[in-house]
Amino acid sequence: MSENLPTERIYFDHSATSPLDPQVVEAMLPFYQETFGNPSSLHWAGRVAKTAMDRARMQVADLFHASPDEITFTASGTESDNMALVGVAEQYPPEECHLITSSIEHPAILETCKSLERCGYEVSYLPVTSEGIVESSALLAELRPNTRLVSIMAANNVVGTLQPVGELARITRAHGALFHTDAVQAAGKILLHMDTLNVDLLSVSAHKLHGPKGVGALYVRNGVKLEPLVYGGGQERGLRSATENVTGIVGLGKAAEIARLSMSEEAVRLVNYRNWIVESVTEAIPNAYLIGHPYKRLPGHICLGFDGQEGETIKLMLALDENGIAVSTGSACSSHHGGQPSYILMAMGMDPIRARGSLRITLGRFNTEDEVQRFVEILPKMVAEMRHVTSRIFA
Amino acid sequence: MTTYAIEDLPGLDCGTCGFRSCEDLADRLTNQPELIKRCIYLSEDRVQVQEQSQNGARSLFAVPDLSVDSQRSTRTPQPSWTASPVQSSCAGCGVANMPVSSVTRNVSRLVGGKTVPYLDSLGRDFDFYLEHFPEEPGPREIIIPHNPLLTREMDIQVGDVLIGRPLGMSCGCPITHCGIAMDVDKRTGVIVWCVTGPLNPRLKGFKDLGYYIAEGYEGLIHEARCEIRIGERYYFQPKMCMLQWRHSGLVNYLNRLPNGYQVRVEGLWIG
Repeated sequence: MSENLPTERIYFDHSATSPLDPQVVEAMLPFYQETFGNPSSLHWAGRVAKTAMDRARMQVADLFHASPDEITFTASGTESDNMALVGVAEQYPPEECHLITSSIEHPAILETCKSLERCGYEVSYLPVTSEGIVESSALLAELRPNTRLVSIMAANNVVGTLQPVGELARITRAHGALFHTDAVQAAGKILLHMDTLNVDLLSVSAHKLHGPKGVGALYVRNGVKLEPLVYGGGQERGLRSATENVTGIVGLGKAAEIARLSMSEEAVRLVNYRNWIVESVTEAIPNAYLIGHPYKRLPGHICLGFDGQEGETIKLMLALDENGIAVSTGSACSSHHGGQPSYILMAMGMDPIRARGSLRITLGRFNTEDEVQRFVEILPKMVAEMRHVTSRIFA
Repeated sequence: MTTYAIEDLPGLDCGTCGFRSCEDLADRLTNQPELIKRCIYLSEDRVQVQEQSQNGARSLFAVPDLSVDSQRSTRTPQPSWTASPVQSSCAGCGVANMPVSSVTRNVSRLVGGKTVPYLDSLGRDFDFYLEHFPEEPGPREIIIPHNPLLTREMDIQVGDVLIGRPLGMSCGCPITHCGIAMDVDKRTGVIVWCVTGPLNPRLKGFKDLGYYIAEGYEGLIHEARCEIRIGERYYFQPKMCMLQWRHSGLVNYLNRLPNGYQVRVEGLWIG
């Protein structure tokens, strides 16, 4: 590695990606070497791979209180989202299929919707409250006789706000449409039980829950039909042809199992760290404010704004980086579009100035109390240093 | 006071409220009923219903009436403690398109019993007066020497007395300015100073910046003839300007104060 990295490093950007859990690495390692078979092969090598994949499918299903045959492996959360939306829409002529989503979805949903719109499908984008919540009244107002699919994310990737998925899914089912949720940020962090939620489709990505990159899954409730995106050898019950990424799938399975077993304990720990950071920062930095709902948010997710310094959050992020602390300004997926205000914050009613400046701090399994302590000590100093040249301290 | 019982909680023991179990949360609810808001599985609508009725007849998990009318009649209550409201048109005032409510807003102003229009010494109109922070020695300016390395080479320190002339298109002025350094960024060369009269340099000595570019002003607005909005360009009159010439600039920071606004103006021009 040629880059000089700080010696003391803190990773607070788990919504971008999370480090592999050592147990996941351990589970995956054999599949890089001796266990290399193609699960479609009938011989011993294939059988071993197939068994491992079946086990992983069971592990993922257990996380969602689902049946293993309702889990389809994909290459990413983005692919899962595409599969859900396009897979439903393509079963209908455009005039017979109206879709509903929210205005704060991940680009994996929004760009897919735009693509469907170009093909003639109608899509409605629901507004959100100033806390980033989709209200049931907004959904009810947009449902039409030809509404076939509603897709609302379980938790927002930038602000961390949780959506009332249960309520929205119940309304959708009562209307006779399907409900999809992009649970890439929420899976493994909050309970999402398919036996109690009226969710028909759910997307998940391994690397957000301490699993490997390049693998995801789509929960497809039994009885729900989808058109495949990829045609070929008929793997994954014909939904996703391609030789399976067995190593990644094993990693996803293990990651799902660990998440299921540790979720409640982790939630308590991360919520307390989260509240500690929010309270310390808002007390030490008078112009700091929390973006999103105070409680209905992911356990380790904090999104902060700094009144009057919105234009300087990128500098703040870089200054923290110099001190070995990795956080982000908004979502990593939109870091290629720097300079634009966040469409998510704009949808939440923020003006373009404010919508440029959010600092996202997302905690994970391996973060410690010492790291949080160091962060709450450093951040106010950084903010003060930022301010002293470019803006006068508040009167 | 609204009371809650273990039966009001989902029994999932998910930990997302910060307590290990619903039972632990229920124990705390006796003395702190507001903690109920931490339960992510309870809709705030239903918590509100419980608070309003408090007859125990309706469970927090009762299936809601999904009719359009009932859904439209319920609104998610806003939290009381979010550190700052998010709907605003500017960086600080917190209200969209907030007019200058506590600032004198007229086409002319009253001085010594006479009506005086907003005109500079050359008879040109302007929108507001920019005044300096009362606790500071003079108007606050953000400047950069034409050679930014000077900041480091001259070892400019906070408290140093400096002189220089604003040169060039941004804010050329024929008058050499004197001031006291308030903040110094040696990495970029940017200096924040407060402009004072010439007495300080005479008495205390000074460091000569030569020419500098005035990048921004910060100050207070107590008098304006129009609404002030962030992102808009205005003509303004620095109250202490010796020439009493109007300037123009773009307001890119606006913070509402009890008696006016704190602003930062950049993109400066004289005239």
